[in-house]
Amino acid sequence: MQVISRYFSRRALLSAVVLAVPLLVLAAATGGAAPATKLVFMNFCFYLIAVLGLNAYSGNTGILSFGHVGFVALAAQISATLTMPPALKASSLPLLPEFLHNSQMGLFGASAVTLVCIALIAAVVAIPICRLNGATATIATLGFLIVVNSVIIGAQGITRGSQAMFGIPALVTVPIAAGFVVVALVLCRLHKDSIPGLFARCGRENEAAAFACGIDVRIARYWAFVFSAIVCGAAGIVLAHSVTVFSARSLFLEMMFAQIVMLVVGGIGSVTGALVGTATITLLTEILRRLENGFHVFGLAVPQIFGLTTIGLSLAILVVLYWRREGLAGTREIEDFLGRISGRKAPAAPMRTPSPTEAVAVPVRRATGALTLVDVSKAYGGLLAVDKVSLTVNPGEVLGLIGPNGSGKTTLLGCIAGTHPVSSGTIRLGGETISGLPAFAVARHGIARTFQTIRLFSRLTVLQNVKAAMAQHRRSAGQRELDGASMDLLREMGIETLAGRAAGTLAYGQQRRLEVARALASEPTFLLLDEPAAGMNEAETADLLATLRRLVTERGIGLIIVDHDMHLIVNLCERIAVLNKGELLKVGKPLDVTRDAAVREAYLGRRSAANV
Amino acid sequence: MRKYLLAAGFSAMLAVSAAHADTVKIGLLGGQTGGLASLDQPLLHGAELAVEEINAKGGVDGKQLELISRDTRSDTGETAVMANEMVGLQVNFLVTPCDGDTTIAAGQAGQAAGIVTISGCASPPILAGNVGDYLFLNATPDNIQATALAEFAEKQGYKTALTLISPDSPYTDKLPQYFATVFEKDGGKVVSTVTYKMGQQDFSVEVSKIRDISPKPDVIVTSAFEPDFPAFIKQLRAAGVDIPVLGADAIDTATTFALGAAAEGVVFATHGFPENGNRLEQFDKRYQAKFGSAPESIFAALGYDLIEIIAATVKGAGGSLDGTALQASLNNIENLEITTGSITYKGMNRVPNRQVALVRVVDGKPQHVEDIIPDASKIPAP
Repeated sequence: MQVISRYFSRRALLSAVVLAVPLLVLAAATGGAAPATKLVFMNFCFYLIAVLGLNAYSGNTGILSFGHVGFVALAAQISATLTMPPALKASSLPLLPEFLHNSQMGLFGASAVTLVCIALIAAVVAIPICRLNGATATIATLGFLIVVNSVIIGAQGITRGSQAMFGIPALVTVPIAAGFVVVALVLCRLHKDSIPGLFARCGRENEAAAFACGIDVRIARYWAFVFSAIVCGAAGIVLAHSVTVFSARSLFLEMMFAQIVMLVVGGIGSVTGALVGTATITLLTEILRRLENGFHVFGLAVPQIFGLTTIGLSLAILVVLYWRREGLAGTREIEDFLGRISGRKAPAAPMRTPSPTEAVAVPVRRATGALTLVDVSKAYGGLLAVDKVSLTVNPGEVLGLIGPNGSGKTTLLGCIAGTHPVSSGTIRLGGETISGLPAFAVARHGIARTFQTIRLFSRLTVLQNVKAAMAQHRRSAGQRELDGASMDLLREMGIETLAGRAAGTLAYGQQRRLEVARALASEPTFLLLDEPAAGMNEAETADLLATLRRLVTERGIGLIIVDHDMHLIVNLCERIAVLNKGELLKVGKPLDVTRDAAVREAYLGRRSAANV
Repeated sequence: MRKYLLAAGFSAMLAVSAAHADTVKIGLLGGQTGGLASLDQPLLHGAELAVEEINAKGGVDGKQLELISRDTRSDTGETAVMANEMVGLQVNFLVTPCDGDTTIAAGQAGQAAGIVTISGCASPPILAGNVGDYLFLNATPDNIQATALAEFAEKQGYKTALTLISPDSPYTDKLPQYFATVFEKDGGKVVSTVTYKMGQQDFSVEVSKIRDISPKPDVIVTSAFEPDFPAFIKQLRAAGVDIPVLGADAIDTATTFALGAAAEGVVFATHGFPENGNRLEQFDKRYQAKFGSAPESIFAALGYDLIEIIAATVKGAGGSLDGTALQASLNNIENLEITTGSITYKGMNRVPNRQVALVRVVDGKPQHVEDIIPDASKIPAP
């Protein structure tokens, strides 16, 4: 039950239902209409499913995909082959294997087989693609689309090659198309709010921060890709069995552009946006294509002007994107808009803590013990940024890491956190060697961190920031439990009233607090803080100091703090380690270190140090 | 009374017909924008000119022609929607865009409603069989063009041929294969088939394959077109290969004549040749007068042909606009004189036999070689 709840949330379901209602009303109204109107509706359904599919990948991962039309084409091809009458297959697809020649399946059987095939293909294609990000991933998806197109054209005999695939039975009716849309809508909305969907969105917002939370972004992208491919496959099935003819040419670049335009106009990061974008473009097309055949206005006859539809659509897209850079809905969903209209704040997370009787998921057990660095070095070409540093930090201990600019403090933190692979030496946590592990694996061993420049999941809410890190740590916790525990943590950090706000809209000090809260969500044994007080005023610094002290005493967390604020360091730390030019200059009690001549020299230069 | 406005732009506004019971409604779907525009746009202009001229002369047996044109934006789904709308408007004839899948999508709607449906200029002969007994072709089908080329090749005394094909489109794939069927049936031999990818710039591999064939074939046959054909012929001649080349109607463009020495001597099949005041030349002049520029391509004349065929069909049906009567009348057309030459539907299973013009490139100018109406018994099955 708990596990299912990681994929299901009532709020997401309600949101999808609110979106589905107008679609169903429209479908009912289309029921008695002329064949042309029915086709318009079914075309709309096809595009909406395809756009929802693209949204499930591009919206959640932030990686634009050119390749999803490839899955539409493959699914159209496979499903049509399964449902075509054997007599026609004999003449138009002569090279099909025997068992396919003689069989003819119904729509649902064919759909099931098709979607399984698509899932398997996507599962293979996703392996290289999920390792890439940004433009590289986008180009890889384009490569996939071109391969699919070439294969369909080249496999003439099994496919129709470059000729039209025709004679497909018209098995998709208005109710069936509407059914496909509603299922796609609900699944896509649930996926967005599911834990895997949340992980993918964390990767979209900030990949480094997601890794630091222990989230393996590649896995999240992988599942988003496979899921989205299946949804696009459903679109292909609807297309093949409503228009009943297609060719490799008609499912290629132009359709890819149409699909992307609809998503971009609606808002890439939003399921509501996918619907709004597709509906807007379809509606505009329907209006413009009637206008372009000529009309009368104030007694003036406007003649037929071909191209008006295309030009009008292009202008509309420009206007929308000028007015709203992130598309009509941005990353928001229907409930965010409804909340605003009714004057209430969008329902934030449930403000409750699980009662003691409720099953509380047991977090991953970790080896505890000291964090030990042995001769750790990090070289960039000939430059030794960290030079044979050996150091031990115990759980519950607070270590300050200081040194002049460029002395290697942040690099050393990066080495511990796994973002900077060490050049030599080892880092151990308890009995386990963690040097050589990727950042997310180090995080899973219980080493959390904050960054020198704040890295939050800006467009996610404050609650989601914390929840994501917590969900990664508590593998069997359901959504409600995660929400409750996240709220508790926010309360502990004094930012619970901001839970529903987008993290990027917080004040600086609040963002720092949230970053610490997110780091704590994975219940780390060690916390690495890179200049936590930078940019803070005195009151904020004092506040932070108090919070950090409390963490150490209540949770027994070991802290490694890099900061230039000597007041903070001296007040908080039991020991101070001084780095200079990558070497460990001195480790000791605060007073001993600040009095040390070599340390003063490193900071202030030889002559000044002598005079102080 | 409802005025229907027809225009090629703001400049060419013209009230064409008055709708009443005795109006022949022609629903014309074309990709006026998008990938098919280069074919469907001139086709529509030619059809507009024909409708205007026929109506000015009193129509067909007193019936005015009403042309209802729509831009499908070259999209298959959109074409299906608009075809159904045309059925809703109760058109007497439905004209579909110039390629395979849009023609099938629209043809299915026409077939189901029993409306005579004609593809504006799609040329794969297989289309008629794909849809059913209400779908007819207008343009010279690929197999008939190929038969004319084969007859020409035989007359030249060519015994061996090489075909250059691309599987990327039915036209580039099938036309040379139809040629091969006729040529081999008549005792010729296709010694080799070389394939290329549409849009490839470099033909060095294909050219060296052709150069290395021994003994060298008498003729090369291809339906490659821009940008492939210019690239191929230049690289072929640059490699010193002087084998004669036969092409098809898609290279009937200004580009071919601008290729200089490389294209010299190339012979291609096309739909007609304007000369000596023939109908095609007269058409070109009237077209220039109406639209202010010469026809962009031969597809404008095919649009005029289309309306002439429809007019003849209406005449042959003896006043009935019933779908079955029109279908029977169209199937009965034999040696009808049209703008590009002559056309026969009788006995052809809705894939018309047409007069094919052969043109040779001489000094960068088109020179009419001859007109061929292929022997119907030689035409290969689609």
